[in-house]
Amino acid sequence: MPDQSHRRLTRRSFLKAACAGTALAAAAGQTKVLSGLVAEAGAAAAPWQSKFSACDMCFNRCGLIARVENGVVTKLDPNPKFLKSRGMLCAKGNAGIAQLYDPNRLKYPLKRVGARGEGKWQRIGWDEALDLAASKMKEIGEKHTRCGMWFTAGSDLQSQFVTRFAEVYGSFNVTSHESLCLLSNNRAFLDTFGEVPFADVLNSKYILMAGANRFEALVTPDSIDLMTAMREKGAKLVVLDPRYTKTAALADEWYPIRPGTDMAFMLALSHVIITENLYDAAWVAEKTSGLEELAAHVARYNPEWAEAECGVPAADIRRIARELAAAAPEAMVYPGRRSSDYENSTQIRRSFAIVNALLANWDRPGGLLGAREVGLKKPGYDAPWYDDNPPERADAGRAPMMFEEDGSYVLMREAVLSGEPYPVKGWFVFKTNPMQTAPDQGKTRRMIDTLDFMVVVDITMSDTAYLADLILPAPSYLERCDPATALQGSSACACVVQRDPVVPALFESRPVFDILKGLAGRLDLAEFFDFDIETYRAQQLAGLTGAKEALEQDGVYYNPSKVYGIYEGRIYKTLSQRIELFNKRYDQMGLDPLPVYSPPKKGPDKALRLVVGRSAIHTQSSTQDNALLNELEPTNALWLNPADAAGLNVADGEAVEVASSAGKGRLPARVTPDVPPGLVYMATGFGSISPTLTHIHGNGCSIASLLADGYDAISGNAALHETFVTVTRSAS
Amino acid sequence: MAPQLQRHNGFDIFIHWFNAACWLFLAATGLGLIDNPALNPLGNGYPRVLRALFGSGGNLLLAHEIVGGLWIAAFLLYLVFNLRGALFFLREVFSVSPARDMTWMLKKQIQMTMGEKMLLRLGLDPHLPPQGFYNMGQKAFAQAAIVGSLVIALSGMVMVLSQLTLDSDRTILVAWAIMLHYLAAGVVFAGLLVHVYMAAIAREERPAFISMFTGTVPEDYARHHHLLWYEQVCGGAAPTPPPGALPLDPSRGAAPAPRKGG
Amino acid sequence: MSAQYAMIIDSSRCIDCRACVAACKVANKVPEGFWRNWVKQSLPVPVAGKPGRGHFQPGACMHCEKPSCVTACPTGATYKDASDGIVKIDPKLCIGCGNCIPACPYGARYRDPVRRIADKCNYCPERRAQGLAPACVDTCPTKARVFGDVNDPESEAGRLLRANTNRLVRVVNTKTDTQPHMYYLAATAPLDWPAEAVIRPPMAALIKAVTPGVSALVGLAAVGVAVMAGREFLAGKSKDHEPRDRS
Repeated sequence: MPDQSHRRLTRRSFLKAACAGTALAAAAGQTKVLSGLVAEAGAAAAPWQSKFSACDMCFNRCGLIARVENGVVTKLDPNPKFLKSRGMLCAKGNAGIAQLYDPNRLKYPLKRVGARGEGKWQRIGWDEALDLAASKMKEIGEKHTRCGMWFTAGSDLQSQFVTRFAEVYGSFNVTSHESLCLLSNNRAFLDTFGEVPFADVLNSKYILMAGANRFEALVTPDSIDLMTAMREKGAKLVVLDPRYTKTAALADEWYPIRPGTDMAFMLALSHVIITENLYDAAWVAEKTSGLEELAAHVARYNPEWAEAECGVPAADIRRIARELAAAAPEAMVYPGRRSSDYENSTQIRRSFAIVNALLANWDRPGGLLGAREVGLKKPGYDAPWYDDNPPERADAGRAPMMFEEDGSYVLMREAVLSGEPYPVKGWFVFKTNPMQTAPDQGKTRRMIDTLDFMVVVDITMSDTAYLADLILPAPSYLERCDPATALQGSSACACVVQRDPVVPALFESRPVFDILKGLAGRLDLAEFFDFDIETYRAQQLAGLTGAKEALEQDGVYYNPSKVYGIYEGRIYKTLSQRIELFNKRYDQMGLDPLPVYSPPKKGPDKALRLVVGRSAIHTQSSTQDNALLNELEPTNALWLNPADAAGLNVADGEAVEVASSAGKGRLPARVTPDVPPGLVYMATGFGSISPTLTHIHGNGCSIASLLADGYDAISGNAALHETFVTVTRSAS
Repeated sequence: MAPQLQRHNGFDIFIHWFNAACWLFLAATGLGLIDNPALNPLGNGYPRVLRALFGSGGNLLLAHEIVGGLWIAAFLLYLVFNLRGALFFLREVFSVSPARDMTWMLKKQIQMTMGEKMLLRLGLDPHLPPQGFYNMGQKAFAQAAIVGSLVIALSGMVMVLSQLTLDSDRTILVAWAIMLHYLAAGVVFAGLLVHVYMAAIAREERPAFISMFTGTVPEDYARHHHLLWYEQVCGGAAPTPPPGALPLDPSRGAAPAPRKGG
Repeated sequence: MSAQYAMIIDSSRCIDCRACVAACKVANKVPEGFWRNWVKQSLPVPVAGKPGRGHFQPGACMHCEKPSCVTACPTGATYKDASDGIVKIDPKLCIGCGNCIPACPYGARYRDPVRRIADKCNYCPERRAQGLAPACVDTCPTKARVFGDVNDPESEAGRLLRANTNRLVRVVNTKTDTQPHMYYLAATAPLDWPAEAVIRPPMAALIKAVTPGVSALVGLAAVGVAVMAGREFLAGKSKDHEPRDRS
């Protein structure tokens, strides 16, 4: 790749130009903006080669440039031309090198030889490993039908091949990580607007953020755009969060809303906006359906009632509603991402979506945007049909609006444990770690004990891999060829990125695609994997003029498709073909067609509610053992309000025992006013059982061991915040 | 040729001039290694020039360290090969007779700077008390040089070790070493100025200067300047030169006579 | 005018994500347990309904106009480069005496545990040689750090500095104001953290006592020699002492 193309380009200057809407033109001409930056610049030959890639340290996939010196990756820099991330690379992104060169990486296939969880392994060759996996999958398929195999893949550009494999192998039982994350939020917006929106934070004047922590849980470009909107455009940020997060700390206003009561706040906003006629009547009449029902529904949810529920003063609720409406349509209730919190989380998020609908911000600048056209093709295939298969997924029938393609981890686990509706005895896991990310670690452990065969493909020996029968080493993203992927960065861009190996794969690691291909060959499914990633990519990019060249030149291809007003003359993908304030399908299914408030469940006496959250340093449970990130955030502690701490006679830094219905753990207390009385918090991903994760083995406490396994009644998304714990001062 | 007395053997002569060369180099480079507006004894230009001369400050430091190491090594070898001579030297240098030597020192300074008439004017006896193998001036400088060299060598080694083995919590040792290194070198340098003048420039001590090449001094000079030594060697006041004093080359085996009395 | 590279920091944009810290660690192979840059935080007890009062403040070596680390360095291994205003360390000249570390009010320096010499931010010269911004600046998500030659009115840093002359905040210890070239825009917090520069006792002794003392001693010796020489060569040597010597 030609370095010169970006040699003298600062990200800042580029972004300024880009934000001004001249991105692509400017990119070509920006060569002399760097006056004063280049001290020793000149003819010095670069000591490194520069290669484009896209980060894989979280799901954002930020474009980057890997600097390679003598075959060693020495630095990962942001790709200044990558608009979705606004040309940045966060701490996690920078730590990609520590993942690539992690001494704790898996190096070759391992077969379990001791009892499960005993940690005794035998190094085997790839042929033996693939033969073993294939024969077990064959055996399970024959004994329990092919739906007896369960496939779970984390967020990865190759995860689509796991789904493809599951389908051609013949199992419906595929779960993504998303039922531990954002499915109820997706459900709510999908069931209101017909699709899951992107928030045009950059152009918004008023952002109400609840159930989201954008300055810590980084989402591109939202996290960056939020700061730009606030500091350069004067946007107002109001944060509702029981916890004083960094987002709260930087907000214009912050309210420590009572956990689980966001819906009361949102219903009261709708109440004020409707009763005071603060909405764009013409727009609402044209685009939405169910205003009358909504008006009648929220009549009782006035701010005074909401104050009693959520603890935010009625006057503030009323004022915020008026301010939002005044700023509309360049105003929003930020949709958020992770919503795996309460058993009615879809309905809670529906109440968010409804306020947005009343703000008339759909498909407009500063509001919520639909998906733009990227133009990437999805190469198709015809999966075989297996007559003996059961009619449905094993987790079906418990959550009425579960996503068929994502399933529900919590419900699937119940199905496996109970053997109902049919036995599921094999588990293929790729790059996800339910032992640390899913609630009730003990239950996951018991579920694994019922399996006949479990294979895990991952980079390190996660706690989930530690319990497998077979572990297959995967390379990091810097060592492999990946298919192209389409990304939308809100209003910033609709783009394509892809990956080529920056360095050859280390050790004996093999990409999951190669593994699946190997298995397909052994299971008479070779015809479905008779390609390589390069040819696959060519099919994906077919018809996208200039895409291949742009990817080579800039590391990213932009489709200059329409950003706003894409719904002009288009119907909404809902039953009524409009934005549904009142959801018709829910009504037909006997679900609440409008969000009905019910107070959050109370815990047992003296119990504290445990909530989940994120920092900007770690991604879920996948980075805590990364040497660099571990140095930045080495362990976890239980955040405890001073009043609760005093009652428990616990001092800051003292070890506490935490016990819930799911399990117990031990970690130091961090006594802080940043959590309200009655609520505790701890970071995810510590207290690992896998001894090879040397930084986190026995360090801190695994939140997964404490979280209760509730789920959202509509989507089957996990309900992690319905966990109550008792805290006691540790004896020792 | 006037009768001669053996005063220095070959080891002594070698180590003296080797030391002189090292000191010259180490002082020149050492001063160039100090570069701080609050210090810079020779002004800000000196370190700049010296660093340019050596290509870089790093090279200058390396040269200083290498020569310093050679200097230490040479003295260690000297001790190994000429232990008796070294011990004689130390014994002579550190044997001070307070009354006689202090009087000599005082009178000599007045005599050298203000002249003999001043001694008379002050009502002092212009005669200087008799001196041994070394006069008190030589002893004073030798003492300063020995103690100073030990401090310089040890502090220098601490500085070198700083980069090799010392951990961060021990760096205060290095900081003190730097201070002591400079202090000791400064004190020795001040003495050196007088030593060089007295030995190499003052006409009166010319025979001693020459003896640092030949190893011998004229009997007459010895009698005048180091009477106690002369008497020791020649057994009383008789000015007859001892027969064993003549061989000039110690390698020929004859032990220098003065050492018998030592 | 010669260059003065500097950082203009809008700390109100900082979200404490520490991308800068990670980028610096990788770019400069900073050993475990050490940092060349940081994000300080000020998080007063939260008050519901009020503006969040949290403030995050990125920092690193401030490449001061009057660097106390340079004062503390006996060898000039730490020096302020007149051509670009960057306070640099000559690794070949530094012997790791550690004097500079407490001399920095900002804790910007550390002694590398492997190379055993002082180290700190040097604005990534290898990167700048390739036309890239220092790693922390390049990677910053919210663009809180702006780098450039503040003496160049055409540079972004120069422009920002000139545009904000009346709203600059200096983060210093008033007892030892080193005149940093790290400029914070408008309100920043915390402000109370820089320590007083400490010149360690051996270095203080070297500056205050040893150097003048040695100079005086050498001067005295030189004067003595000069007087003796003057006496011998100008006033004429008196030979009359010789017989008396023999008494």
